[in-house]
Amino acid sequence: MARKVTTQRMALNTVLAWAIGLLIFFPILWTILTSFKTEAQAIADPPIFLGFNWTLENYVEVQERSNYFRHFWNSVVISLGSTLLGLVIAVPAAWAMAFVPGKRTKDVLMWMLSTKMLPPVGVLVPIYLMFKSLGLLDTQLGLVIVLTLINLPIIIWMLYTYFREIPGEILEAARMDGATLKGEVVHVLLPMAVPGMASTVLLNIILAWNEAFWTLNLTAAKAAPLTAFIASYSSPEGLFYAKLSAASTMAIAPILIMGWFSQKQLVRGLTFGAVK
Amino acid sequence: MGRITLDKVTKSFGDIEVIPPLDLTIDEGEFVVFVGPSGCGKSTLLRLIAGLEDVSSGQIRIDRQDATHLPPAKRGLAMVFQSYALYPHMSVRKNIAFPLKMAGMDKAEQDKRVNYAAEVLNLSDYIDRKPGQLSGGQRQRVAIGRAIVREPAAFLFDEPLSNLDAALRVNMRLEISELHAKLKTTMVYVTHDQVEAMTMADKIVVLQAGRIEQVGSPLELYRAPRNRFVAGFIGSPKMNFITGAAAEAFGVHEIGVRPEHLQPSTESGMWKGTVGVGEHLGSDTFLHVHDTGLAETITVRASGEMALRHGDTIWLTPEADKIHKFDAAGLRVE
Amino acid sequence: MATQHSRAAARLMISPAVLLLLGWMLIPLGMTIYFSLLRYNLLMPGNNPYVGWENYKYFLTDPAFSAAIFNTLALVGGVLLITVVGGILLGLLLDQPMWGQGIVRILVIAPFFVMPTVSALVWKNMFMNPVNGLFAYLAQFLGLEPFDFLAQAPLMSIIGIVSWQWLPFATLILLTAMQSLDREQLEAAEMDGAGPFNRFFYIVLPHLARAVTVVVLIQTIFLLSVFAEILVTTNGGPGNASTNLTYLVYAESLLRFDVGTGSAGGVVAIVLANIVAIFLMRMIGKNLEA
Repeated sequence: MARKVTTQRMALNTVLAWAIGLLIFFPILWTILTSFKTEAQAIADPPIFLGFNWTLENYVEVQERSNYFRHFWNSVVISLGSTLLGLVIAVPAAWAMAFVPGKRTKDVLMWMLSTKMLPPVGVLVPIYLMFKSLGLLDTQLGLVIVLTLINLPIIIWMLYTYFREIPGEILEAARMDGATLKGEVVHVLLPMAVPGMASTVLLNIILAWNEAFWTLNLTAAKAAPLTAFIASYSSPEGLFYAKLSAASTMAIAPILIMGWFSQKQLVRGLTFGAVK
Repeated sequence: MGRITLDKVTKSFGDIEVIPPLDLTIDEGEFVVFVGPSGCGKSTLLRLIAGLEDVSSGQIRIDRQDATHLPPAKRGLAMVFQSYALYPHMSVRKNIAFPLKMAGMDKAEQDKRVNYAAEVLNLSDYIDRKPGQLSGGQRQRVAIGRAIVREPAAFLFDEPLSNLDAALRVNMRLEISELHAKLKTTMVYVTHDQVEAMTMADKIVVLQAGRIEQVGSPLELYRAPRNRFVAGFIGSPKMNFITGAAAEAFGVHEIGVRPEHLQPSTESGMWKGTVGVGEHLGSDTFLHVHDTGLAETITVRASGEMALRHGDTIWLTPEADKIHKFDAAGLRVE
Repeated sequence: MATQHSRAAARLMISPAVLLLLGWMLIPLGMTIYFSLLRYNLLMPGNNPYVGWENYKYFLTDPAFSAAIFNTLALVGGVLLITVVGGILLGLLLDQPMWGQGIVRILVIAPFFVMPTVSALVWKNMFMNPVNGLFAYLAQFLGLEPFDFLAQAPLMSIIGIVSWQWLPFATLILLTAMQSLDREQLEAAEMDGAGPFNRFFYIVLPHLARAVTVVVLIQTIFLLSVFAEILVTTNGGPGNASTNLTYLVYAESLLRFDVGTGSAGGVVAIVLANIVAIFLMRMIGKNLEA
């Protein structure tokens, strides 16, 4: 039932929106462009927008000089690991709360959310000291544990809101049809929850990939994911714009693509279902 | 196969007792309908039999075996849900085969049974579709198909027709009755619609507030309701209840007369009143009569072509042997 | 509405999550509170004597603390103002019919997916750098003196960077809320004689109230903990000019190794965050019942 809109109006909207959209996107675009310049072209005066000799040498050099893929791999392991571990813990909990709600279910959910409100800096010291004494500092395992715990409430909440949309009668039907608890979850619940689970996984990978408090404070050279690796460019000696851009482009590209795919579910996940 | 006995079964949710101690026997092969107003505990009772809820005390026996603490899957019962509860990600074939797969039946036997059920229920043309692509009536039949392939000891139906439109409901009612005639398996059917109860049941169980008000065949309930509640609940349109002098003339606190047991006349009769709205159904006309001094409105069935207008005077005479008498507690007086 | 069997199963299924979160919350929290009452410095090994409220007194009276509180509030308030107002305006624009709406949407939300360290470094070096940054070229082009953003207006610069990261979030949520507005309501208002401004103020804005509240509360939770952006751009400086509470606690604990004072600061941060959290939980809790 769209109203008829005049062409001038459409054109005006389009020009304005594209201008603002490109302005907001410009820093990312500029980073991507700079990553293909030479260092000299990157700081040329006046700046070169497109008319430069495209080169891939920055990408090669970033890898050669700093073993980029090791940090990329750390990011992959940490974000996938914490997401999968979180899912394993969260699916049963969300199942229980969505389909066998008790008097205290709501309180438990709210309490879980409240753990997310705990500012990380409030527990930085004990976690740091504990990790130090347990030998978990600068390890992939240590970060997987921390990121699983900080994102667990979000995973449970998202799954809970998706599970709640599945009618309980269908699970009861499965029970009547002779399915065990495992059968009920594996054959009925999970297949029906696939879209919800996919967006939960996606959002969680994004959050874990970009997490920049614990990753910066709990890692050094060995287990540093991309967030921490990029931060090492902040020292003045690291002032190589083209290489910084190449490293940055590789660090954000996978998540940018995933984020664009998950933008619809993102709203729901990030607002704990308060805005759909 | 298929005899279900409830022995002093109770159910409480927290402090609230929804089913006070209740005894009931459902015989093998019977079509039993639980009927009552919403919130009367009929669905809870069905879920207790299914094992989807625990009884708080008492015993449920299925085929003389104590099933009180058996999980749903072990009771040998099949259930058709109000929402049909089909698995949306599975085809019709897989939906129907699901209970067989869960039972670990071999593939060939599964296919044989599924094909048979699909044929019986006219689903063969849709067998590879997903539930989302089916109409309400077809989904209903898939749900029934999923129930019959298991060859259960009894079928449980939880208001299965309430999501269908009026015309389809009549059709499905007949289909389910046919199915019962064919399979001769015990069926327990929950509804709030007394028409469904009257048309389908061998035995009706009328429930109110978790208590059984009366158990009997449709005609027993119609002819001799044990109390005022059953009298008012069974029959359509509802029975007229009359208190005061007119009832005392029969020596009781209250009398009840069904609309079809009142003789209307334009000339003479026992009670006089004014015609209000008339609902013309063609075969019958239901007249709402006011100013009788008996009750606010008396409903009476007249022949389809009775020429009476709003505001006309009318006389009503009850058929003497069809008057139901009740005492002050609402119990039937013979 | 379930059997004892399924209730027992449910308890079993939920317990790992509950136990883990309980442990995650209570153990470090208890340790933080405990450390905050000790004189405990990693550079001075030895026994760590109980000192009561001394750390709190030291932390709260440190001039850096009042600066950090101010900076924290300015950062949170500034970013909220920019993102909410900007988000409503952008949402309104994106809600209009246009060509290539999907692509514009993708362009606008992109910054949200950029990791904080990358966005901070890109802004710091490639835009705000007084010699080689694009802003410096722009100033030169316009005949102005280049401005050293991070030295001369560090807090404002950080507010700008963080706003760029969070504007997409606010826009996306507010746009989603706008799209859930019943078009017939707007048409009814139009029939009732409401012009575009009245329609915005009487229909659209009240409809957005809830989404705005959610945006404000959720962003506040994250903005109170802004860290990486400060670490890679200014290191909290010059002086304390861009130190927020999170950064101050980090500096006390991991730069000055003063575990006692850092812990006291952590407790203060927790108290502050809880005040916000209570409001947020009420909002979300209400939604849970609906």
